[in-house]
Amino acid sequence: MHSPENPFARDPHLCSDHAGEGPSIWSLPGLPDALRREWLALETRRHFLGRGMQAFGWAGLASLLGRPLAAQTAASPAVLAPHYAPRAKRAIYLFMAGSPSQFETWDHKPVLQRMFDQDLPESVRGGQVLTGMTASQARFPIAPSVYKFAQHGQAGHWVSELFPHTARIADELCVLKSLHTEAINHEPAILQLTTGNMFPGRPSLGSWLSYGLGAVNDELPTFVVMTSKMPHRTNVQALSNRLWSSGFLSPEHAAVALRSAGDPVLHLNNPPGVSGDVRRAMIDGVNALNRQLFERVGDAETNARIAQYEMAFRMQSSVPELADLSSEPQSTWDLYGEKAKEPGTYAYNCLMARRLAERGVRFTQIFLRSWDQHSNLPRNIKLMAEESDQPTAALVTDLKRRGLLDDTLVVWGGEFGRTCYSQGVLTAENYGRDHHPRCFSMWMAGGGVKPGLSFGETDDFSYNIVKDPVHIRDLHATMLHLFGLDHNRLSFRFQGLDQRLTGVLPAKVIDAILA
Amino acid sequence: MPSSPELSRVRRRLALALLLATAPLGAETTFYQDRIGPILERHCVVCHGPEKQKAGLRLDSFAWVMKGAESGAMVLPGNAAGSELHRRITLPATDEEVMPSEGKPLLSREEIRNVELWILGGASATKLVAEFPGAPAIGRPKAAAVALAPDWRPRADEIRRLEAELGVRLVPRSQQPGDGLILRTAGSPRRADDAALARLDPVAELIVEAELARTPVTDAGLAAVGRWTNLRSLDLSRAKVSGSGIAALAGLSRLEALNLTDSAVDAGGIERARALPALRRLWAFGAPGMAAAEARP
Repeated sequence: MHSPENPFARDPHLCSDHAGEGPSIWSLPGLPDALRREWLALETRRHFLGRGMQAFGWAGLASLLGRPLAAQTAASPAVLAPHYAPRAKRAIYLFMAGSPSQFETWDHKPVLQRMFDQDLPESVRGGQVLTGMTASQARFPIAPSVYKFAQHGQAGHWVSELFPHTARIADELCVLKSLHTEAINHEPAILQLTTGNMFPGRPSLGSWLSYGLGAVNDELPTFVVMTSKMPHRTNVQALSNRLWSSGFLSPEHAAVALRSAGDPVLHLNNPPGVSGDVRRAMIDGVNALNRQLFERVGDAETNARIAQYEMAFRMQSSVPELADLSSEPQSTWDLYGEKAKEPGTYAYNCLMARRLAERGVRFTQIFLRSWDQHSNLPRNIKLMAEESDQPTAALVTDLKRRGLLDDTLVVWGGEFGRTCYSQGVLTAENYGRDHHPRCFSMWMAGGGVKPGLSFGETDDFSYNIVKDPVHIRDLHATMLHLFGLDHNRLSFRFQGLDQRLTGVLPAKVIDAILA
Repeated sequence: MPSSPELSRVRRRLALALLLATAPLGAETTFYQDRIGPILERHCVVCHGPEKQKAGLRLDSFAWVMKGAESGAMVLPGNAAGSELHRRITLPATDEEVMPSEGKPLLSREEIRNVELWILGGASATKLVAEFPGAPAIGRPKAAAVALAPDWRPRADEIRRLEAELGVRLVPRSQQPGDGLILRTAGSPRRADDAALARLDPVAELIVEAELARTPVTDAGLAAVGRWTNLRSLDLSRAKVSGSGIAALAGLSRLEALNLTDSAVDAGGIERARALPALRRLWAFGAPGMAAAEARP
């Protein structure tokens, strides 16, 4: 019953989860050989990566050296060099949770101005099922944007008057107007964008990048998440670490979430009376115990735990330096605005994102919530735009003037679109918009994306896509491509499948938006 | 430099002539080598090759193709319509069994015709291109990327030793060994000082990107950087370089991007940087020399 290569055969009663309880995975009767091999590979890979962060750089070389490239399979150690030379080294994802309406932001629909309060033509909807929140409405009255649009830059992007600062960087932006998704509610839709799947439990995009590329700076996490204070609170989406978890990848690939108030990381300072040396000795002691546990039990999670202690120790010095804004010149505050001095604001987070990019953090994801305007849209979207427009434009401008935009990909967008018809009562000044998965807008800048391009088109009602649809899988495939990764090849064997960010359904790199 | 496009055209012709001159004389390529192998390589080998062998099938050599899959032969010589390989690549895109699968681009009509003619002609390993006069030309993949640096793999031990001794990292830019190495210092920028850079001479021509932001590198250290002749991108943001040191970079004829943000570089240094022959991007935000002019060349 015991596998011949079982290194723990001397104690068949150890369990991989709870030392000393239950049978070992090796002694489970009838465990298929394939699963046994998968578990062994997992253990080997994590052990390999767990030798301390210094091993990371070398792991890339060693995995290339140790075997011909062709022999690398999903079960071999993580390949820490991209498949081909990347255009982007880092990404900053500005996640507008709740979903800003495309009608008041990027998808200018002048035809609707002449159709105020008319019913949505049946030919547009084509019998499609509506979401539960508006399906029972007696009418679907068309609500044109109350905000005006104008063309900006050489690119001639149509930009809403809500975003005067962003309008000034129009020529940096590649605006995608034809995103679509299957999800009609926030949690699954956000999960699909952050992890590639509506069901919780998959590794997030940042985790895949960490797994595929390793760290640039061993002193900081590879993947950082920041949530932002909101200018108002309506229909606020819950955020949780399943949006930035590493799923079935090793836990060191999960994001470190920086707190939006007080110290960015709790308990980072040593308690009074505990010196750095004492702390170091303590961690060494704990690690030694953990290594003994690993030798005995062979649970890969133990090595992840050791790596995290080490990361936390290094963050004791790297994070205070990161969060010390005293050396920022006045030009920084002129650009981002005074609000950037207040920890936890969106403006502060944008500035931190630039500082993280400077220090080599691969993936920074900033969440700004409360874009879910089912009612009182004109008033509330204005509050959100006022909070975010200047810092967003500042971030792109700052990255550009510091030479970082070339290899930093910036992404802005929500999780789905909104309806062209009003949810609830429509007046000349007020309306709401329901969820609409069939089309929505995002923009990207830098990192090897074609600047000044508008890609994809929707119909006059921004209801259906008429040209160049972009599924979230295509967006993910394209983002991985910019990092030099082939979405078909970046995989991890789990539960008998070579799992990928883009899953098993067709996904394509959008060549037309590559610079 | 008005003559440079002309020059490079001449250079390209010269390179082509050399390439042709070194090909074995009189050795005509076989149809399999010239057409079928490349088509399979482009569309099939990622799943049916050395990395993965879906359905137990490899298509990365003539012998593997003829061996077939778990389910049997892929090619019946002389019988295209009866060959599983031909059937799969000609199914409609919506068919569950179409190959390539998972939405990857299907074979072009010309590619399919080449496969068909090859099978009809006996699925030979030795027939020459000239024996298939009716075979349409197939689009060629872009020429293999030009190597930016020599293959680093034979120097791996040296690289490993330098990393350990200097506390810097030398990581491959990609899995293509010709893409060279990145000198990476973000984890411990203070260790990448002038003395450390001077010791990188053994790998000088392998470094294609140098990330020296926030390091204590001074003008003296740039003397070493000036010997990294394959350097394309150099980041000196917040380094201690002033201006005179930029002169040491004059020999970097391939340097395309130079970042001097928040460095101490003066106007003279920026002028010298602008004179670099291949430079396309220059940043000097926050550097003293930027006060007057926009640095973009």
